[in-house]
Amino acid sequence: MTPTTILQVSALSKAFKNVQAVENISFSLERGDIFAFLGPNGAGKTTTLRILLDIIKADSGSIKWNFGGIVNNLPPSAQIGYLPEERGLYTDLPIIRSLVYLASIRGMEPSKAKTSAMEWLEKLDLADRAKEKLQALSKGNQQKIQFIASILHKPAFAILDEPFSGLDPLNQEKFIGYIKELNHQGTTILLSSHQMPLVEKIAHRVFLINQGKELFNGSLMDIYKNFGQQPILDISFASEIPHEQLQMLPGTENITTVGAQQVKVTFLPCRDLNEILLNLARIEGIANIKSHNSSLHDIFLNMVKTHQQ
Amino acid sequence: MNYYKQVLTVTLWEYRRFFKIKNELIGIVVMIVIFTLSYFGGRYAATESSEKPHLTVLNDLNPQLSELLSKDFEVESIPVGEKAKYLSEITTLKEGSLLLQEGAGFEVHSWKKPKKFKKLQESLNVYCQTEALLKINLSAENLEDVLKPATLKEVYLYETGTRGKNVLAYFFAGLMIMAVFLSFAYQFTAITGEKQLKITEQIISAIKPQAWMDGKILGITLTGLSSMLTYSVIGLLGGMLFFQFTGTPVSAIIQYLYFPSILLFFTFTIMGVLLWNAFLAAIASVITDPNNSGKSGIMLLPILFVFSAFLVMRDPDDGISVFLSWFPLTSATAMPMRWVTTEVAWWQLAGSFVILAATFYLLRKLAAKIFHVSILISGKEPTWREVIKLAWEN
Repeated sequence: MTPTTILQVSALSKAFKNVQAVENISFSLERGDIFAFLGPNGAGKTTTLRILLDIIKADSGSIKWNFGGIVNNLPPSAQIGYLPEERGLYTDLPIIRSLVYLASIRGMEPSKAKTSAMEWLEKLDLADRAKEKLQALSKGNQQKIQFIASILHKPAFAILDEPFSGLDPLNQEKFIGYIKELNHQGTTILLSSHQMPLVEKIAHRVFLINQGKELFNGSLMDIYKNFGQQPILDISFASEIPHEQLQMLPGTENITTVGAQQVKVTFLPCRDLNEILLNLARIEGIANIKSHNSSLHDIFLNMVKTHQQ
Repeated sequence: MNYYKQVLTVTLWEYRRFFKIKNELIGIVVMIVIFTLSYFGGRYAATESSEKPHLTVLNDLNPQLSELLSKDFEVESIPVGEKAKYLSEITTLKEGSLLLQEGAGFEVHSWKKPKKFKKLQESLNVYCQTEALLKINLSAENLEDVLKPATLKEVYLYETGTRGKNVLAYFFAGLMIMAVFLSFAYQFTAITGEKQLKITEQIISAIKPQAWMDGKILGITLTGLSSMLTYSVIGLLGGMLFFQFTGTPVSAIIQYLYFPSILLFFTFTIMGVLLWNAFLAAIASVITDPNNSGKSGIMLLPILFVFSAFLVMRDPDDGISVFLSWFPLTSATAMPMRWVTTEVAWWQLAGSFVILAATFYLLRKLAAKIFHVSILISGKEPTWREVIKLAWEN
């Protein structure tokens, strides 16, 4: 564990009855990281996060937290912020009271918690609703309050479980901004999600997990370098999709029908785009072609599919 | 943040969340209204029952019987010839009671059972016994001797509690029952409610289940005790007002304030409310939805308190009362009740209290454990078997 490592997880495993929820996973986070924990539903993301927070115990493996040079096996609550996947707050109490209480149980002085809460409410355009009950707010605004509750005490490390779920695209963009700002203020962030386009925008490093097992652990750059060299073409046709001709194209890995007249064709890694285009020119009725490399979403789907096979 | 600071934070949060002056005032107003209605209603009922009911007799009835009956009834005498008319009028007017002497017996004709029927029966019994004794030529002196009630001198080696002590015992038992039933409602909101609102995971990531549970137990106990205090003060003021109203000197209230009793009751009451809160918290931790949970019925166990208090007052020395005064779920009311009504050694008081305190200590630990393992079981409500198994494994 280096001095800049804030969390080190080694060979963590956890089973429930007959299900191996987490199997021998290891990863570490450096101070200032935004680390994304990615996986489909039931992959073992939330179980891992709960183990990190000591809500449940691992069957085996070790966890080491490093705050200011002091290494602990348990997370110090004042240094940790947690946004659980299952959202919930006191709906029948004034927002400001709930926020101050939740920061207080993490060790923040109530007066400071109130000041900090008002600052965040101001930032999130909710200052005028501080004394209202949570139930009076829209779902999006309730999510904002939930987010404030998890980071109000200025934690050194924030765990955000599915921070974008239930948000509309506008609020998703706003949340990306909030997380970036939190990170700039010095908070290391571990987030779990399966919304890859959003994760792509903020994460420095990713950990792909499926059926409790590690699929990839590294930087975004590494994942693109290693798995993102496959040319992908989104092709639109003026009339029906010529499936037979497309199947005949050399070097295709996967053809997905997107709409009645559109397909997404994934080619094997390092195929020459010029050669692909020459082959495509023989197919009639193409109205539009858009070329791009594999996105995180594509890589993720591909990896999960390969893993399941 | 250390354990004690966390417990204090949760305690104050729960206390401020549930103890509301406005609600207390509403409760007091309702209590005053009920008390006033009960008092005046009771007085009205007593006035009604003190009135002599009407009873009609024929003018050939023995004058001595007529005089005897007039002690409890407004007796009206009618001529013998009007008997048939009166009897027919009972049906049409749907009122009136006519007493007839038929040989050695009597008949009463009435639209419905007359008021003070027992008194009528007693008067007729006395009349018949007197007539029978006169027939065997007893002198007036002898007759008085025969009818004189027996004298009974009361000599008791153990003097039972005074009326004041008994009133105090009932007062504290009542307050404690109130505090426990309030806790019953609050624990559901505090624990099951939080589970339903899905706040639990967020909180439990910040503090240890034991600190959270201790804070809940203390906060809700404090709420119950605050309500007890409010109602005690109001009860005291109400008592003074009542004495003033009924002409009793206000200083008479002092006979009800026996300091050793207050100290004993207060100590047992605090520990009893704490224990019941720990018990209720443990049950509430397993319940996910109170409306559909089969375990909600267990929450009605505090009713044991009510029964134990009454059972002890019935006979404080029988086996059941002794058991209840040692059994921790009932001893908080039963032991002080026994203390005011019979002889209880100091070591019994101390022993019962130690068991009560030790049970509370263990129950709060068990409550935290049950809570911790039950939140890990997602989806359906955990069964007792699952909870016990998980608690054992952890």
